[in-house]
Amino acid sequence: MAKRLWTTSVLAVVVMMLVVACGASSTSPSPAASAAASVPAASAAASVPAASAAASAAASAKPAAAVPKVPTGYVELDKALGADKPFNGKTVSIQTQWIGGEGTNFAASVADFATATGIKIQIDSIGSSHEVVLKTRIDGGKPPDLAMLAQPTPILAYAAAGKVQDVAKLMDPKKLSDEHPATIGLVTQGAQIWGVPYKADVKSTIWYPIKAFEAKGYKVPATWDELIALSDKIVADGTNPWCVSAGGPGAATGWQLTDWVEEVVLKTKGLAYYNDWISHKVTFQDPGIKDAFAKVGKILFTDKYVFGGNTAIVATDQKTPMDPMFTDDLANPKCWMQKIPTWYGPDFFPDQRASGQPSKYIIGTDVGMFPFPTIDPAQNNAEGSADTLMVLVDRPEVRAVAQFLATPEGVQNWIRAGSAISTNSTTPADWYAGAYKLKVAAEIANKAAGIGFDASDLMPGKVGAGTFWTQTVQWVNSGGTNTDAVLKAIDDSWPPTQ
Amino acid sequence: MAVVARTESPGLSRFVLPIAGLIGLGLCVGGLLVLLDPQGGANLLASIYDALGNTAGATDLRNGSGDQVIAKLLLAVIALAVGVGGIWLLFIGVGSLVSLLQAKWRDRILPWVFAGPALALLAVFLVYPAAGTVLRSFQNDLGQFTLANFAVMIEPEFTQILRNNVIWLIVGTGASVVLGLIFAGLFDRIRRESLAKTIVFLPLAISLVGASVIWGFVYAWQPAGQPQIGLLNAIVVAFGGEPIPWLQTSPINIICEIVILVWLQTGFAMVVFSASIKGVSGEVIEAARLDGASERQLFVRVIVPMIRGSIVTVATTIAIITLKIFDIVYVTTGGRFNDDVVANRMFQEIFQFFEEGRASALATLLFVAVLPVMYINLRNFRRQQAQG
Repeated sequence: MAKRLWTTSVLAVVVMMLVVACGASSTSPSPAASAAASVPAASAAASVPAASAAASAAASAKPAAAVPKVPTGYVELDKALGADKPFNGKTVSIQTQWIGGEGTNFAASVADFATATGIKIQIDSIGSSHEVVLKTRIDGGKPPDLAMLAQPTPILAYAAAGKVQDVAKLMDPKKLSDEHPATIGLVTQGAQIWGVPYKADVKSTIWYPIKAFEAKGYKVPATWDELIALSDKIVADGTNPWCVSAGGPGAATGWQLTDWVEEVVLKTKGLAYYNDWISHKVTFQDPGIKDAFAKVGKILFTDKYVFGGNTAIVATDQKTPMDPMFTDDLANPKCWMQKIPTWYGPDFFPDQRASGQPSKYIIGTDVGMFPFPTIDPAQNNAEGSADTLMVLVDRPEVRAVAQFLATPEGVQNWIRAGSAISTNSTTPADWYAGAYKLKVAAEIANKAAGIGFDASDLMPGKVGAGTFWTQTVQWVNSGGTNTDAVLKAIDDSWPPTQ
Repeated sequence: MAVVARTESPGLSRFVLPIAGLIGLGLCVGGLLVLLDPQGGANLLASIYDALGNTAGATDLRNGSGDQVIAKLLLAVIALAVGVGGIWLLFIGVGSLVSLLQAKWRDRILPWVFAGPALALLAVFLVYPAAGTVLRSFQNDLGQFTLANFAVMIEPEFTQILRNNVIWLIVGTGASVVLGLIFAGLFDRIRRESLAKTIVFLPLAISLVGASVIWGFVYAWQPAGQPQIGLLNAIVVAFGGEPIPWLQTSPINIICEIVILVWLQTGFAMVVFSASIKGVSGEVIEAARLDGASERQLFVRVIVPMIRGSIVTVATTIAIITLKIFDIVYVTTGGRFNDDVVANRMFQEIFQFFEEGRASALATLLFVAVLPVMYINLRNFRRQQAQG
């Protein structure tokens, strides 16, 4: 009896190990990755005195510490950077959604400041369940001191519930507003400001394989007609022009489709119309929106345009749509273009995903970006998004960190890593010099007549994170044949104004 | 009762117990204070280090570095001691107080003393929030009474969700019970019974999320012409078919998700049924055989009716799981492909749409739906007890 039991247990263990091994060898990572990183005060690389920061950025091999010069214009920040380090040893917690490369870059952005002030900045990097964890912490009455959010809608919802500090009372509101002219309006209500804009992304970019484009003689399209002509040419050459993921897996499926529609609305109808659409003065059933869906449908549903067809759009993980592009080391792409924001990068390239080592493909040499082509020359607008810092607990050292993140230096080390744009308009232009990604982003932003903020992030959550996503997924599932029903369903779901 | 008897015995224990109780109480209060302080563990360990002469270690701890792991372990030990010891002290203390009363009162109060803490916890952590949820489901965001949260349930968007839950309830529960019964009946007659049962039972050890991730690979889809990394589509393509997006095609996707649950729950059903089958007396089976029953008749007409109680218990347990199903849908598709269920929608309403009223209404609906199943289960339990 005992022997039998023993044999069975051994077998059980073996089967178990097999199951686990199968799971581990699969290529796709688990859905809810989370990690916690903290920046100890002693671990930063550079210890150059703050005074020489501005001068020596280019000259020395080791970059100067990314710390603003006193006086900064903010009270607590000046205090924190004072010689007596009044906040030395105090801890400030901040919750973000950034993991992987983005997590490392944000940790680097605050590391020099932590060293200079002695403030311990504890970063809770949550990943895909960031919003859920944050809501639980806020509703539970034990919020982190600070939190980054990409969507203004929940920030305003938390503000309405009295959970967010009015930053106009925590720092000079005029300086803050003046330095963040493009983004502060998203979180401003009258004299109250519910957040500190931190980092911006340009969404109007299409990623493509530079060398393969040259080898095939494809030209970067500047207009919608050229884009369609190029797509047809690629189809004629025997491959599929587009790599598309709706943004899945799971509940995230749909957000990239909303980006497509927003982009086309901005480029066909202009900013005023776009903003009326966000506030539902223009309905989804308006001819202009319907026309935008038709244009997006032209790309998504034309036969052979999208690698894998409609099914691939909804079934492809947002980390993998460009994988077919990397066939034979980018020499023979099976799909050629992906519309995805500037924050995209090596984290999503197949070699880095598989090995965890830095990708061998260089952005700007192997893989590049071009601006989403103009559709109506009179409506040359671009789409952007911004990460905003919410202050949830008011303590002097928390104020100091929030004020630091409002300065250009708060994002300087991320800019040095070549993949962030500060929302602060006083950021020196030469900080961006040499970084390909930022050059393209700056080019788009400078040429654009106006920048529209991600509409789905501004619509009520029921629509912007709900029906706008689910219904466009239905739309793709049906191959674009139910446009009218989909648009009506989104309009019907709009919550009544109270 | 043993406790009461001991406190009544004269002699030394009459003094020792109260004193020990007081010391214990003091320790409990001290432990609670340490637990309530966010830095409690580190500070306590630092004091211990100071007392032992390790000043540097103590300073490190107070600054948030040093032996933080040990501080956390210390906290865990204190929490365990306060939790277990505190309850123990409470029972003994109140028990000995009650024992001082007259016998008539003592017998009436004593059961409540022992059931009391559990009832209090139940009231605070189950009844209170449940009542709050029901109340919230009848309120709009301004706290006024409304039926709007329930009125939306008749819209197609929600009727589809309810329909999906009914499919889960019927197919999920039915398949788990039937398969469990078949396996239990068949494995009862083979030589390597425990081995076979182990294999079927193993998946139960995997969490719903883990199982969903594993099956996500089974169902994975790649465009035709690409190497299929999903097992199912690899088989389909090997036989010359077109790859099928299992999880994105409604309504197959609901069945595919139910398969994950059945894979997990069949083992549970089988083990319970197997034990019950072994409990069926050999005389009954022999009598049936003598009367000329075929093996199939024996199983369907004799064994199954005799283990009816286990079948009801297993079916109601799995039925409750299917009604509350969340993890599988959340991980595989997020309910984005006409396969949403009540629990997942509830989660979305509250965390993505910030619609507390509607989420509460869904929770209430789920609660009401589970009640009859609970009732069947309890009635069955009582009947079995009466028989036993």
